[in-house]
Amino acid sequence: MIHSLPGNFPFVAAVVLLGIGLYILIFRRNLIKIVMGIAILGSSINLFLITLGYRIDGDAPIYTEVPSELMVLPVVQALTLTNIVIGVATSALILSLVIRIYRHTGTLDSVKSRRMKG
Amino acid sequence: MSLLIEAGYEFWNPIIWLIAFAVLMALVFLFRKRGQAKYKKDTDQTRIFLCGEEVPEAEQRYVRGGNVYWGFFETLKEYYNGVVRPHTGVVNDYVIWFVAVTAISAIVLFIVELAR
Amino acid sequence: MSTLIAHSSILIIAVTLATAFLTPLVGIASKRARNTLIVLALAFVAFLVVALARDVMLNQIHVYTLGAAAPDLTIPGGAIVPVRIILEVDGLSAFMGIVIAIVSLVAVIYSMSALKTETGQNGFYTLLLLMAAGMFGMVFTGDLFNLFVFLEITSISGAALIAFRTKFADSQEGGFKYIVVSAVASLMILFAIGLLYSQYNLLNIGALAATMEYTMLDRIALVILMSAFVMKLGGVPLHMWLSDTYSVAPASIPALLIVASQASLYALLRTSFTLYGVTLDQSVAGWIIIIVGLLSMFVGVTMAILQTDITRLIAYNCVCESGFMLVGLGVGLAVLADPGALDAFGTMAMNGAVFHMINHALFEGLLFLVAGAIFYRIGTRDLNQMCGLGHTMKLTSVLFLLGALASAGIPPFNGFASKILIYESVYQFNPILTMIGILVSILTLAVFMKVFFSAFTGASLPRYRDVREVPRPMVAAMIVLAAGIIFFGLFPGLVLDWIVQPATDALVNQGAYIDAIMGAVP
Repeated sequence: MIHSLPGNFPFVAAVVLLGIGLYILIFRRNLIKIVMGIAILGSSINLFLITLGYRIDGDAPIYTEVPSELMVLPVVQALTLTNIVIGVATSALILSLVIRIYRHTGTLDSVKSRRMKG
Repeated sequence: MSLLIEAGYEFWNPIIWLIAFAVLMALVFLFRKRGQAKYKKDTDQTRIFLCGEEVPEAEQRYVRGGNVYWGFFETLKEYYNGVVRPHTGVVNDYVIWFVAVTAISAIVLFIVELAR
Repeated sequence: MSTLIAHSSILIIAVTLATAFLTPLVGIASKRARNTLIVLALAFVAFLVVALARDVMLNQIHVYTLGAAAPDLTIPGGAIVPVRIILEVDGLSAFMGIVIAIVSLVAVIYSMSALKTETGQNGFYTLLLLMAAGMFGMVFTGDLFNLFVFLEITSISGAALIAFRTKFADSQEGGFKYIVVSAVASLMILFAIGLLYSQYNLLNIGALAATMEYTMLDRIALVILMSAFVMKLGGVPLHMWLSDTYSVAPASIPALLIVASQASLYALLRTSFTLYGVTLDQSVAGWIIIIVGLLSMFVGVTMAILQTDITRLIAYNCVCESGFMLVGLGVGLAVLADPGALDAFGTMAMNGAVFHMINHALFEGLLFLVAGAIFYRIGTRDLNQMCGLGHTMKLTSVLFLLGALASAGIPPFNGFASKILIYESVYQFNPILTMIGILVSILTLAVFMKVFFSAFTGASLPRYRDVREVPRPMVAAMIVLAAGIIFFGLFPGLVLDWIVQPATDALVNQGAYIDAIMGAVP
């Protein structure tokens, strides 16, 4: 499948996801959607990291005795795994804060729920 | 030696400052000692005198924190109108500023390098 | 002792983390045992930090390779680049370590009585220690990805701490803003790290600096890293989250959040001085930092003078003070490639800025603790509600005055010692910067006179007649910071020689940082 696509295609997808994430963060005022924006931003960076470590026809980096010379980079996969875990923690914390904000203010709109300005 | 900071045209030695401070404090003490100590407490001598008018309660006769520097803000009204407006307190705007600053500094960096 | 010092950089992080997770367990059994455990652990960590800093400043850069046969075996046999996570402590890291150790110890002692009546204290101390561990990790690590992980640990625990008092709507909002801003900034940092990794297949800062070619992708990564770290440290125009979060956190937490901002400033310096260093177009990057600093100074102080919420006012003052540091360091970065200018004033500007970092942590920490003490006694942060508190809270008002004068740069307090260094050196770079700096200092004094006038002076109001001085542990915590302010003000030369000068030397000397990692390569 990936052979038929141009080599840079996953990078383009990652940048598009990055743009979508930033778009949501900038233009969507619903707090839940802001959380989604951060999750999409995180996914785009995960995709970017995984792609830059991918080698076409490479083996998974799990062997002690290497079957072939060409292997997928293991470090970026470790980075991605760490980022996924951090992303889960962040989303959980933000969602709990959103619930608290909703209980206090009765709205999920980032402008209407704002108490502090200036 | 290690007490000293030498900064270009000036230097800073706290020992000299401390001596000056001690001399000033001694002067203050001398002045204070010359004051009248024989007033009667809790009589009219310690009450506030306002041309014979009735003195308002403590709550009323005090300039509140929000009213301090009123003239300063009145003079700089236009500046403050401009500078307070971006502080919207909306989280979306914070992300806009971040994206804008990143873009502007990237453009500045590249333009300066192209110009060379 | 030498073994202890050899392993101290990882021990500092590990002891803090282990205590963080022991705290709730011990807390179930006994509150007193928990408090003793935390204070003892942090005191031990502070001792380790001082020992490590002394070793680093007297001898050489301290390197610790995790999982290697020997701590200094950065590059294993057969490899040509470092493959493990490496902690690298140079003068600047050790300096930051001292700041973090002092402030977290003070914050814990203060919280012991300030939060006595709150529920969920076990979680509070766990988060506080996690945040301290995250900050130690940020300043000690020599690995970019590790830096990202510790940055996330700091921001997640920081957001939870800001939102700790769930009964207030505004503290929930503050926590939300902090975590959103941090998440965006740190994800963009990870993106930049990915850009660097894609070219060099390296994550180690020293190794990356050795191979840096300053390609187009590197420039993009530089811009993203710089603006993300400026966002995290709260430089104008990315400062707006700062006043929303600092003002609603429980009393001792803003003091820690300041140090977290300083750790982000440290990361900015690591990136611009060490990671990019000589390859960077220094004058452009330097001027960008100077302009951000100038804006921070001016906007910070003019917004501060407008506020009527006492903690919000101090938060804006923090923005203003970080402007001074950014200007000093920006001047240093702008003349980094010019040895003559660097000797004439560049080093002094950076000395002043680095010295200002520790001073800032001390006096802003003290001001926030005083504001917390006022809130603890009268239950409001609104300046319009306050009047005549100095009649009953005498010690607190004196301590506030001390912090305020230090912040405005009045001799003989520590703020003066660092500001005079910045003024004098920046004047030789560009006189206008000094003029703005002095104007901003005068306005800072006006800001704090407003607070002092409206909160502490005036007739004592009937409803505040039985307000008393705050409990002893809170006073003790404030006095520790006040003692630091006076000591640093009276003996600035000592501090400069012992901890500030090594930190500045470490910043300028990019080669030493690289050699400590890559030295094993033949």
